[in-house]
Amino acid sequence: MEVHSTVEVRDLRRVYRTTIGVLRRRVKEIVAVEGISFDVAPGELFGLLGPNGAGKTTTVKMLTTLLIPTSGTARVLGRDIVKEADAIRARIGFIFGGERGLYWRLSGYDNLRYFSSLYHVEPQVARKRIPYLLELVGLADRGKEKVEGYSRGMMQRLHIARTLLHDPEVLFLDEPTIGLDPVGARELRQMILNLQAEAKTILLTTHYMFEADLLCQRVAVINKGRIVALDTPAALKSNVSDLAVVEMEVFGMDPQVVERLRGLPFVDTVSVENVDQRQAVRVQTRRGSEAVPDLMNVLAGLRVDRVVVREPTLEDAYVRLVGGGE
Amino acid sequence: MTLQTLKQNLRVAYAAFVITLRMNAPDAFVLFTIVVQPLVIAVMAMWMLVERGAANALYVVVGSGMTGLWSTLLFMGGNSINWERWTGTLELMVGQPTPVSVIVFGKNAAVVFQSLLSMVGSYSVAAILFRQSLVVEQPLLFAVSLILTTAAFVCFGLVIAPMFLLSPAVQHFQNALEFPVYMLCGFLFPIALLPGWTTPLSYLLAPYWAARALHGTSTGGASLQETLFAWGMMLLLGLIYLLISGWLTERMLYKARSEASLRLE
Repeated sequence: MEVHSTVEVRDLRRVYRTTIGVLRRRVKEIVAVEGISFDVAPGELFGLLGPNGAGKTTTVKMLTTLLIPTSGTARVLGRDIVKEADAIRARIGFIFGGERGLYWRLSGYDNLRYFSSLYHVEPQVARKRIPYLLELVGLADRGKEKVEGYSRGMMQRLHIARTLLHDPEVLFLDEPTIGLDPVGARELRQMILNLQAEAKTILLTTHYMFEADLLCQRVAVINKGRIVALDTPAALKSNVSDLAVVEMEVFGMDPQVVERLRGLPFVDTVSVENVDQRQAVRVQTRRGSEAVPDLMNVLAGLRVDRVVVREPTLEDAYVRLVGGGE
Repeated sequence: MTLQTLKQNLRVAYAAFVITLRMNAPDAFVLFTIVVQPLVIAVMAMWMLVERGAANALYVVVGSGMTGLWSTLLFMGGNSINWERWTGTLELMVGQPTPVSVIVFGKNAAVVFQSLLSMVGSYSVAAILFRQSLVVEQPLLFAVSLILTTAAFVCFGLVIAPMFLLSPAVQHFQNALEFPVYMLCGFLFPIALLPGWTTPLSYLLAPYWAARALHGTSTGGASLQETLFAWGMMLLLGLIYLLISGWLTERMLYKARSEASLRLE
């Protein structure tokens, strides 16, 4: 028997149109998603990984029937996302990162009770399921309090409970751990793994590489609206197995120095992150630790505090795919 | 629609009704539109008409109560979809299996139900402050008229809400819509005082027929035939509003999903 994908995406494209100018208005087109295709198998935890503005949220909004694609097709549970949106909605759950999307003047319990009505959960089922879900997300003690008094992490956990009310077959989680403290994020990741163990199909977007590495069976790396790689985290990492990563902490490095580093023949990518007054520089190179003296020559005259040479991670594979710190 | 679907939709409308009542209860703006503003209108109108007797006082009570009904519907009911957008819940409302118009119906019903309080407030002002003896002449017919008025206003709100989201340009005129409807619907004075060309406009508005039914049955100035006709018009226009709102809501949702405007970024 042929096994169909739970999510099938074919050449999906989405263009946003906006107007600029006051007197002479001109239409500007922004391509958010540029003809992407992928499949998610039943029970799979699939990751969509990419930087901010890569097109992850737009993709999820199209798959959850909230946004109509400009072209291309997608099917969720065998149903077309445009023509059969109503049939999909009852069988999926979704969350978008952030504090919005809850009724702040109501308690967490009342929010869940209301959403259970919207999803046609029978009242007697909801009466048992809501306390269970509040317990599951660690809000059993605070369920009767108004949401306006909740922390961001508590709201995010309430969103998780909300999306599980009707026991959906497919979950779309758009950056679910964004803004959570480390403990809260770790608990949420464990919760996602537990859901996958219940055979739920999950599409997760994130820009945290370690999160995709830890949770996802397959990852599509998306950049500027296009999928630039799609494989298992291990296979993606193997793409950079020929590289070593040199990490350095430098003070007062100007852009010309970064360009000189990029110009070195043995350097693959250079990414720079400003942390307080110093810069965390990450250089991918095929020469490993042998590259360090040449790198130091370029950085001569600058204060360099720490130099570490290490094996590449999924994050390095990602940096290589999306073009380093450019 | 199957019986099961009808049951589910009624349950959703009731849930929307209850949460709207609970969320609006502490809202100062709601308090102003359903209590303060109609009271101000009632006091001013009573000062002008107090010498003319109890029938006029009852006319003012019902009329100023209806101003509260309309203002609350215009601002709260009209913004019932927009409000979800502002609070970031519109995507959830659209992404679930119940038709959005069912939820808006429940929300508008709560708004109209709450605004009936404005009639109680106006009645109290007339009875206590101006010492008017107010007796509803046809209480049974008045009660039925009040129920039909509530239904007609809810249906009217269903047309306004998607229109405000569909066209922000229309919403810019939201404030300007408040007083013309007071006048066109004869809340505080008969429409016979207006120019003749406005009469057909009044006939298209269910609140006008609601005002006729409520004024007529409270003061006893309308025959049974006239009251029945007003009821019929409320039902007919309510049905037309329902059909228009279904079409408008579908268009609104398609436009919002096409233009990515379900959420304010």
